[in-house]
Formats: sequence, structure tokens, C-alpha cells
Amino acid sequence: MTILKKSIIAVCAAVVITSTFFNVASAQDTPMTDAQIKQIKGSCVSAKNTMAQLHASDALLRVNRGQIYESMTTKLMSRFNDRATSSHLKTDDLVAVNQNYNATLTLFRSDYQAYEESLSAALKIDCTKEPVTFYDAVADARRKRTQVHVDVIRLHQFIDDYKSTFESFVTDYLGLNGGNG
Amino acid sequence: MDDKVEMPQTELSFWDQHRYLLLIAISIAIAMFLVGVSMALYTNSGAAQLDLSRPGYSAVTSQAVKNDNDFDNYSNSGALDKTSIDEFRTLYDRQATKAKAVDAFKGDPLDPAALELSLPAN
Repeated sequence: MTILKKSIIAVCAAVVITSTFFNVASAQDTPMTDAQIKQIKGSCVSAKNTMAQLHASDALLRVNRGQIYESMTTKLMSRFNDRATSSHLKTDDLVAVNQNYNATLTLFRSDYQAYEESLSAALKIDCTKEPVTFYDAVADARRKRTQVHVDVIRLHQFIDDYKSTFESFVTDYLGLNGGNG
Repeated sequence: MDDKVEMPQTELSFWDQHRYLLLIAISIAIAMFLVGVSMALYTNSGAAQLDLSRPGYSAVTSQAVKNDNDFDNYSNSGALDKTSIDEFRTLYDRQATKAKAVDAFKGDPLDPAALELSLPAN
């Protein structure tokens, strides 16, 4: 009976230890080798310096680009739409593009916030003690930064879309009014 | 003649005796609560990400565009004629060129290979 108890305890302990080990080592798709972990520990201090610089330069980029993207809608698109609407003109297409632009701008803000929080979290990790966690945190920040770039591309696309919609609107409007508006 | 009036002596409770301390303690508690609410708003609203006065950003603070006032708002009222349309086109083209001048967040600086976190390929 005692032997059976000891066997059960030993099996349970083995399962717990093994699962704990694999939880750490398999945080990425394939378990890390000792050589990889050694490489991360050796390079992570310089990597963190590079990431800290990126953190600051991306924040500056967010502030400066954000102002321009914001002004495109608040100072131009919305105002032109209001003016055209108040003249009782059909602005459905312009409004639709503007709404898509605003939705993407909101997404850009939230995606950047998620990226910044992820990068900050990665920078706080003691990479010499937790190399696998650090590696995973960097991978997460990398994925989120890619998403921010996707949002930027979409914003640029909507800026072009609004311009072409505006030109179509103007062609129709001036055509109706004999070129005098 | 002695006009002294004897005032009745009332027993003060613990909180009556320490009412100033109580006032200070409640004031501090309210202040701490409001600071907590402010910090939660600051963090969760995304304002923290735009705050370049935080530690670690001193190198880039001076490069932030303080105001983007090189063009006026397009007026949202008035008649829509050829002049106002041309004015909008000029403003829009200028701002669109600025917006698209930088392909922000391009590249892959967090690639493990770039950060030398992965083993060199043999």
C-alpha cells in the first residue's frame, strides 16, 4: 500500500515537473534549445538598448504622424463634407470614405497603444533570468508593430480614396452647374 | 461682585478631540483616490503613449511637432463654388503629401535576427 502511494506521488510529481518545464520551454512553437537560450542571454542586453531606442523613436513617430492623420479628418474631410451637405449636395460617398478613415484612425490609435504596452512589458523583463519569456514578449511586440504598419497603409489608402471620391464629386457638381459651382 | 459664569463641562468624544486629524486623513484619502482615477484614465486612454515628457523620451522630445498650424482649417460653411473647391484641393493635396511622405512603422526592427536573439543560420 505504501509503495503504491509513493508510486502515485512520484508519477504526479513527474507530471507536474514535466508540464512546468514544457510550459516554459514551449512558449514559442518549437521548444528552445540550450544554444538558443544562451544566444538570447548573451545578446539581450544590446537588444534591449536597441529596443529602448526604437521605443522612443516610435513614440515620436506616433505623435507626429498622429497629428497629421488627425488633421486630415478634422480640418479637411469632415469640414468639406459639412459644407457640401449644408449646400444640400449628395455627399454619401465622401461621408462613407471619411467614416472608414475615422474607423481606421481609431484602430491605429488602439493598435499603437497595444504595441507600446507590449514593447514596454518586454523591456521590463530581466532577459538574463527569463530569456524565453523575453523572446516571446519581443515576438508579441513585433506582431503588434506589424499591425500598426497595416493601419498606416490603410490610412494612406483612404486618403487616396477620399481624393478620388472628391474629384468625382467635383466633376458631377461642376457639370451640373455649368462649371461655375 | 464676581460675574463669572460657570460653563457646563461636556465630555468630548474621541472623534471630537481628533477632528483635525480626521479632516486631514479624509482629505489625503480623497486626494489619493482622485490621483488613482487620474492615473487610470491617463494609462487607459492612450494619453500615456503620447506623453513624450516621460522618462526615456528626453532625446526625442525636442523633435515633436508642437503645432501643425502651417495651414488653416477649411471653412465648413459658405457657398461651394469653384474658388472654394480649388482652395480645398490645394489644402488637401498639401496635407496628403505630408501624411504619405513617411511610411511609418515600416520595416522589421524587432526581428530576432536583427536583434541577434536567434542563432546565426549555418
